[in-house]
Amino acid sequence: MLRPYLLLLALLAGCAFGRQDVNEPILAADLRAFAPGKTSAAEVVAKLGAPTEVVQLGRRSAYRYDATRTKSTILFLGLVNFANQDARQDRVWLFFDDKDVLLHYGATLSTHRTQYALPWEDVHEAEDHAARDAARAESGR
Amino acid sequence: MSRAARSLSAALLLAALPACVTGSYDRVHLQEPVREADLAGLAPGVAAFGDCLQRLGAPWRVLEYDVDQDGNSGAALLWTWRDASGWGIQAEYGDDTLSGSLSYDAVAAEQPACVLWFDHRLVLQRWRFGTAGDLLPRRQRPAPFADAAEPAR
Repeated sequence: MLRPYLLLLALLAGCAFGRQDVNEPILAADLRAFAPGKTSAAEVVAKLGAPTEVVQLGRRSAYRYDATRTKSTILFLGLVNFANQDARQDRVWLFFDDKDVLLHYGATLSTHRTQYALPWEDVHEAEDHAARDAARAESGR
Repeated sequence: MSRAARSLSAALLLAALPACVTGSYDRVHLQEPVREADLAGLAPGVAAFGDCLQRLGAPWRVLEYDVDQDGNSGAALLWTWRDASGWGIQAEYGDDTLSGSLSYDAVAAEQPACVLWFDHRLVLQRWRFGTAGDLLPRRQRPAPFADAAEPAR
């Protein structure tokens, strides 16, 4: 008697993949053009556009640029669902002195490391990162 | 299994199929983690701002810290990430007059974080691991304001 219901349950199974990108990825080549002690805030804005956030640090200031990539995988099994979400950012903070000259910058470029996976799969292993980093460097992005 | 038990099982299954009650196993990976090993060699009182940024990459948030009367300020840099998995359950009910839902998400636990504090010269003062909620300054209510038409409340 349970067989028809189990069949119905099997028919309800499905999966979904989703990808969401917020902002354009940040180019490593753009960052290499910035020289602490020389580059001005105006030059940074001319190159990267309007920052996502500006923070006042006393007389200094800091600009944030970021891009986010999120990849989602969902396995629907009717009563129980399995979902995985992987989000990584390209993120740069640039710090300026009271004359708006670049003092320091810190960058994390990792939107290319996001992966579709199910929750029991291991992602973000060192070999994965090395291969994806190499591919991004090769593409010039 | 007896006929009655099978009927009851089938009825329960049918009741649950419209997603009134669903369970889920979720995993989230958010951002690159910072580990204590990453901080090795960044000595308080010695490590420079640029060295820390080079080692750890861009922080998640940057906060003004220890502002003096002359307008000089240090900085607090916060990194946060999450790699967590867990079971959740969601129950929903609705009709013409009443609707509601209840959910429990074990993944939405406290989010790990690391903060580095720098003095006015941008030299590392100290660092600490914890949860983002503990390390970030408490949320503050917006300050009341006044204009010519309406006095401050």
